Amino acid sequence: MTKVVEVKDLTKRFGNTVALDEVSFNLEPNTIYGLLGRNGAGKTTLMSIITAQAFASSGKVQVFGEEPYENAGVLRRMCFMRDNQVYPDSSKPVHAFRIARLCFPNWNQALAERLVADFRLPVATPIKKLSRGQLSAVGAIIGLAARAEVTFFDEPYLGFDAAAREIFYDRLLEDYAEHPRTIVLSSHLIDEIANILERVIVLDNGRVILNDATDDLRDRAVVIRGDNTKVAAFTAGRAVIHRQALGALSAVTVLGHLTHQDRAALTANDLDVSPVTLQQLVVRATQAAAGTAADQGAAR
Amino acid sequence: MVDDSKALFLQIAERIEDSIVDGHLAEEAQAPSTNELAAFYRINPATALKGIGLLVDKGVLYKQRGIGMFVASGARQALLKERRAAFSDTYLEPLVAEAHKLGLSADDLAALINQRFSERTAG
Amino acid sequence: MTRVVTVMRLQFVNRRTYVGMPLVILSGAFLLAILILLLVPTDELKFAGGAVAAPLWYFSVVGWQALALTFPFSQAMSTTRRDFHLGTLLTAATTAGILATFYLVISLIEAATGGWGMNGYFTIPGLSGSQLPVAALSYFVVACLLFLFGYTCAAIAKRWGGVVLTSVLTGLSIVLALAIILVIRSGSWGTVVTWFVTQGLLGTTLWGLLLAVLMAYGSYLMIRRVEH
Repeated sequence: MTKVVEVKDLTKRFGNTVALDEVSFNLEPNTIYGLLGRNGAGKTTLMSIITAQAFASSGKVQVFGEEPYENAGVLRRMCFMRDNQVYPDSSKPVHAFRIARLCFPNWNQALAERLVADFRLPVATPIKKLSRGQLSAVGAIIGLAARAEVTFFDEPYLGFDAAAREIFYDRLLEDYAEHPRTIVLSSHLIDEIANILERVIVLDNGRVILNDATDDLRDRAVVIRGDNTKVAAFTAGRAVIHRQALGALSAVTVLGHLTHQDRAALTANDLDVSPVTLQQLVVRATQAAAGTAADQGAAR
Repeated sequence: MVDDSKALFLQIAERIEDSIVDGHLAEEAQAPSTNELAAFYRINPATALKGIGLLVDKGVLYKQRGIGMFVASGARQALLKERRAAFSDTYLEPLVAEAHKLGLSADDLAALINQRFSERTAG
Repeated sequence: MTRVVTVMRLQFVNRRTYVGMPLVILSGAFLLAILILLLVPTDELKFAGGAVAAPLWYFSVVGWQALALTFPFSQAMSTTRRDFHLGTLLTAATTAGILATFYLVISLIEAATGGWGMNGYFTIPGLSGSQLPVAALSYFVVACLLFLFGYTCAAIAKRWGGVVLTSVLTGLSIVLALAIILVIRSGSWGTVVTWFVTQGLLGTTLWGLLLAVLMAYGSYLMIRRVEH
C-alpha cells in the first residue's frame, strides 16, 4: 500500500530546545488518524513541517512520494487548518470560502453551504468580529469542504459547544464515508473522538510514544484495584504505568492483555478489573514517559 | 454505551448479533450498511466494516453483490446455540462466585432463580 | 500562471485595501486641495503635490499588510511562497498602475488647462509632451518602491523577528544620515545634484526600478525561509 505521507527521523530544534526528536511514522491513504499528546508535545510543529510551512532541522518528509517544499502539485492536495488561523484583514467568511474554492481542487461548494447552515455561521460578518466558536467553524468548514487528500485539523473545535462538536463529527464521518481520504485530527478531547479514529499517534516531548490501531489500544491496559498486598502480588513483573493508593487499597494501571487464568486469579483474589479509556491510556502513557525521562535524567 | 475493554468492531458485531437474536433483524433481511452503522454509532467506517466482516466470516451475514449484506438463514438458531454454550461462563460463573461470597447455597440460588422466572412471566 | 492569478484574487479580496482606500485618499486629498486653491486667489504657481503623494505613503502600509496579514492565509490555502510573492507583487503593480494612470490623466488635464485655469498643479508643473508619461512612470515606480519598502520590512520581521527589523531600519537611517552629513561636509552636494540632473527624470526612475527589482528579489529570498 502506498503511503501518502512518510516521515523519517524528523528532528526540529528551536535553539537549544528539541521540539521533535527523530520522529518516524507513515500515513496511509483513507484512514482517520488521531495525533495526540500534551500541549507542547510537538503536534503543531509536526503538521507545519509536513505541509512545508516550517522546516525540519534534519530528517525526511515525503508527501505522495515527493518533497512538499514549494511543490504546488503536492501542496494543493493537502490542507492544514490551524487552531489560530489568521485571515486577511477585514475579510469575511464568504471571501475565505471563495478563495478556498479556487485553491483546493476537490472543493465542494454544496458541502460548504450545508456546513455554513449547520454551524449557523454568519458569512457576511467580518472574521475579526466572529466569536471563538464561529472562527473555528470557518476553519472546520474549509477543512471539510476542501476534501483534500490529506487533511490536518489542529484542535478544530476550540470554542465549539457540545452540539457543534457533534455536528462536526457527524459531518466528518458522513463525508469521509462517501469520500475517503487521509484525515489527521489533533485534539485534547480524546475520548470524544476515540471511536472515529482508526489509528492513534501519540507524541510526548517530541517523540512518538504510541503508534497503533485504536482497537489494539483498547485493551492495552487495565486498572487493577484492591488490597495493597494482593495488587502488588498480581502486578509484580508486569509493566506498570501508574499507581494510586488510598489507605489499604491500591489502583495500579498495567500494560498487557489479561489471559483467562489472569482473570480467574483476579476474581479469586477479590481484585477489581476496569478498562482504561483511550484518553486515560494516553494520559498515563505520557506520564509514564515523563517518569522514565525523569529517571534517566536523575541517573545521569 | 461503548465498553472500553473490548475492541470496538467486536462490540459492533455483537450488537448486530443482539438484534438478530431478539428478532429485530430478521433472517434474509438486509443488515445496516457500513456507512449507516458508522453514522449511527458515530464510529469510523473501517471499524464498522471490520465488524461486518467478522459476521460474514462467521456465517451470520452474507453478501449480495451490488445490493448489500443480508442475514443468513439459520443465523438466529446458530447464535442462540453459541450463546447458550457461553451462558454458563458469562453469567453463571460470576453469579455462583457472588452467591458463594454471600453464603448462599445452590438450593438458595435455585429458589431465587425460580422466583425471578415467575415474576417475569407474570409481569 | 493560474495559481499566481489566484493569489491576486486572494489579495483583491481586500478590494477596500488595494483599490478603494488609495482612491479614497487620493480623491479626498484632491478635493481638499481644490478647496484650498479656490481659497487662495492668486495667479502665482501653486503646487499641491502633497495631495497626490498622500496615497503613496499608504502604500507602504499596504505593502506591510500584504505580507503580514495575508501570507499566513495563503499558506493555509496551500499556495507556494513563489506564487504568493509573484501574485502579491503583481497586485501591487496593478494598483500602482491604476494610480499612475489617474496621475497621468490629471497631469494631462493640468497641462492642457494651465493648472485648472488657476495655475494650480497637483502633478509636477511645467511638463509637456513626452515628459508627462515619464512623470507618470516615476509616480508608478515610487508607489512600487513604497509598497516594496513595507513588504520587505514585513519580510524581515517574519524571517528574523521585530528586533532585527528595528535594528536594520535604525542602521539604515544612521548610514543614510551619515552619508548626507559626509556629502554636505565635503561640499559634494553639488556633484550629487548634478548627477541627478544628468540622469534626468527617466534616468532616476530607471534607477528606482532597479532598486525595486532588488527589493523584490531580496524579499523573495526571505519569504522562502519564513517558518510558521
